[in-house]
Amino acid sequence: MNFAKRACLYLIRKKGKTIILLAFLLAMATMMLTCISIQSATKDAAFNVRKGLMGSFTVNAKHLEGGLTEEVLHQILSIDGLSGNYTLRSYTQASLLDKLGDALEIEIDGAASVPEGFEHAGKIVANSNSEKDTYFTEAGFQLVEGNAIISEEKGVVLIHEDFAKRNHLSIGDTMMLGNIEDKKLHIEVTVKGIFTNTKEQDSLGIVPSYDLYENIVFTDINTCSYLLFADFGQSCQYGDFYMDDPEELDAIMEIVKAIPDVSWQDCVITKYDKDYQNARDALVSLQDIVYVAIVVITAICFIILSLLLIFRLRNRVYEMGVLLAMGISKSAILMQQLMEVLIVAAFAFVLAFVSSSFIAQQVGDSLLSQTISANYETVDLTNSKTKNKSKEETNNMAALAEVKLAEIKVSISIIDYVLVWIAGILICVISTTLAIIPILRMKPKNILTQMS
Amino acid sequence: MSLFKRAILYIIRKWKKTLLIFFILFAVSTLVISGLAISDAQEEQSAGLRGTTGVSFSVGRNLSTGGRGNGNGGSYSTQEYISNEMIDSIAKIEGIKSYNASYKTILSLADKKGTALEQINRKGIAAVDCQFYSFGAINSEYNSLFLSGTLVMEEGQHITSSVGDGIIISKDIADKHNLKIGDSILAVNDPYSNDPTKELKIMGLFTVVADKTDEKSNYNMSSYYDYTEYAFISMPAMRELLVNYDDATEYDSADFFVSDPEQLEIVIQNVQNISSINWDNFIITANDEVYERVASSVSDIGSLISTLIVLIILVSVVIIVLILSMWMRSRKKEIGVLLSVGVSKPAILLQYIIETFLIAVIAFPSAYLLSQNVAGSFGSLFGKSATNILVTPQHFMVVAIVGCVLLVLSTIISCVPVMRYKPKEILSQMD
Repeated sequence: MNFAKRACLYLIRKKGKTIILLAFLLAMATMMLTCISIQSATKDAAFNVRKGLMGSFTVNAKHLEGGLTEEVLHQILSIDGLSGNYTLRSYTQASLLDKLGDALEIEIDGAASVPEGFEHAGKIVANSNSEKDTYFTEAGFQLVEGNAIISEEKGVVLIHEDFAKRNHLSIGDTMMLGNIEDKKLHIEVTVKGIFTNTKEQDSLGIVPSYDLYENIVFTDINTCSYLLFADFGQSCQYGDFYMDDPEELDAIMEIVKAIPDVSWQDCVITKYDKDYQNARDALVSLQDIVYVAIVVITAICFIILSLLLIFRLRNRVYEMGVLLAMGISKSAILMQQLMEVLIVAAFAFVLAFVSSSFIAQQVGDSLLSQTISANYETVDLTNSKTKNKSKEETNNMAALAEVKLAEIKVSISIIDYVLVWIAGILICVISTTLAIIPILRMKPKNILTQMS
Repeated sequence: MSLFKRAILYIIRKWKKTLLIFFILFAVSTLVISGLAISDAQEEQSAGLRGTTGVSFSVGRNLSTGGRGNGNGGSYSTQEYISNEMIDSIAKIEGIKSYNASYKTILSLADKKGTALEQINRKGIAAVDCQFYSFGAINSEYNSLFLSGTLVMEEGQHITSSVGDGIIISKDIADKHNLKIGDSILAVNDPYSNDPTKELKIMGLFTVVADKTDEKSNYNMSSYYDYTEYAFISMPAMRELLVNYDDATEYDSADFFVSDPEQLEIVIQNVQNISSINWDNFIITANDEVYERVASSVSDIGSLISTLIVLIILVSVVIIVLILSMWMRSRKKEIGVLLSVGVSKPAILLQYIIETFLIAVIAFPSAYLLSQNVAGSFGSLFGKSATNILVTPQHFMVVAIVGCVLLVLSTIISCVPVMRYKPKEILSQMD
């Protein structure tokens, strides 16, 4: 009878023991595979945290001739690692005229001075997303009518409630913005929205007339590009670019500075990643904990695995004595033992793939349902809170949606699976061999006369 | 022979097997104890991470409900301001770790000898060149300029509520005028009136990080001053400087910082329940955008680790049950012999339980001692910090108690099937 046949017969004859061994190897392999899948899922989650902390950099090209042109903009946006979210901004002053070109009346109460040439001028704020402008986010501006300006638009403005009343303007009306120096340079625009300020201007009495809240006009990038550079493109003075991963911020800023044909020494590039810097240490130690956990579990699993295999062999000393006494070679006995373990291990590893995939699926689903229920919770709060609060919540939801968190994949890659196979088989072979050597060194007589 | 003696003799006689069982118990309990410690460390670290998002809420005046008045600066709101008493009563609410409110004014600064501190970029008008955009701050650390990283403290201390006469100025200004921490500065609100002049001690120096030329911050008065022309002054000193102005003891808005972002809603509700404040006149705005963006991902990490720990515990239970049943199965013959010599079934069971306990009594405490170092040493082996993973006696207690119950149960479960047979059947079985 050859060792392979003997191994198979043993496994069939001792069903109980085989099942225990199988259960054991299955538990270990499942644990290893789940560990690995959780490790990679944690990496995804940590990436999402970094993404949520949002790093950005701002290119200040105010002193760059021609501003930040559309071509450079495309080059920056094509860099890998940018989230695709960006804000373009320009600031200037322009004469506010009606559609016939006659001057409109501005607020002058509260102004320190009305500079010469600016008697009918207001501050022009161009933003590719007017909602995100600091006047709206910090200074307490609020739209009372109409809609915010979004990037694709051309020839639209938002005006102050006060200015609208003073000049009998309402949504849909047209007016004109004129370059202060070059009187011939003007552009027709449509009133898209009317805003008001919820906080008082704290600089009353020291600002020039055009900076008064009432005289501020928001417009789109194209219109401002025409006013500033006489160019109908997307040229602008400032660009804020948001990152996928704030960790790469420095590297990407270097790539930006390497874009040719732009005199970068005239630009100021500033990075904004305070939230990331604040959270960085905590995030790194959280990841370290996961890493250490995986290492500790793996190491202890391997130790337990080899101990159990040794334990199993020690119970079969007597059997080996009999086999040796029958004249079966030591290598054949070793091969039989290895064969037994490996057959069971093969079954266990195949089953482990199924069981750990199942666990991974469950974990993935629970993470998903957690996110969904978190969203529901927020929606619930919106309904019950005061109006002001609900607006805040909606903003937060919008912010969350904007981050576009990556889906966390709790799954087992083929490479990891193969690694577990290799490591598992190595452990089985090494610990079986090491455990069997001292037994096989003994003479059959000594083994069989041992008391059990 | 008593069963206790039999148990001890077995353990000594079969010391190799005993040692193996010991090592397995030891390894499994180390795994579980480390797992519990890791789970705790994760929770603590996640809370820390959430804490770094700086969740706060601001209380501001509600201009839509107040009346309006007219003055030389145009129309203004007559809405109630936020008083010191109000801030104190809100700050008392549990869960608020700090707060800040600012009163902004333009101060003229001079060194101790009375020589005006000139700005970096002089405008050429002496009266204007020594003007500084000044914040009266309760806790300057929580001023939005420092929180946002626009300004960074280079040297010295932040102003706290316990500071009397302190000032923080920019390092550039200090260098220009050879001033250092501990030096005195003279400050006055309006040098052309009877406003008092106060001597202030330089507590800290800040450096400017952000790009001030970016016009996005040009929406209020501060935009007319360069960041180097900013100063932060302790609130008591500020009040004395502004003693001639009625409204200088009250604030436009105040920010309150919450220690645990998850408690924000509850804290705000508690604040709104303060009866001494007329909430029609004030608006509360929550600033938790960053937290909202990361919270779900942080809790994802938490769930992943918890899953891992639950898995560890389950697998450990399986291992313990399996190893004990393997052990008991290998002692089938022995059970048969004992039964045939008339030893009662409970006595045999008790002997086995005592044997496992004798091993566990050594294995559990040694696992406790080892696991205190295991995370640290594995961590340092891979260059990761694991100082947060702390093993507490509670972890040991859980493992010891649950472990003992488990050992008894699995010994009984694996012995019972064998004991159901008659000794003859057991002994005549082929092995």
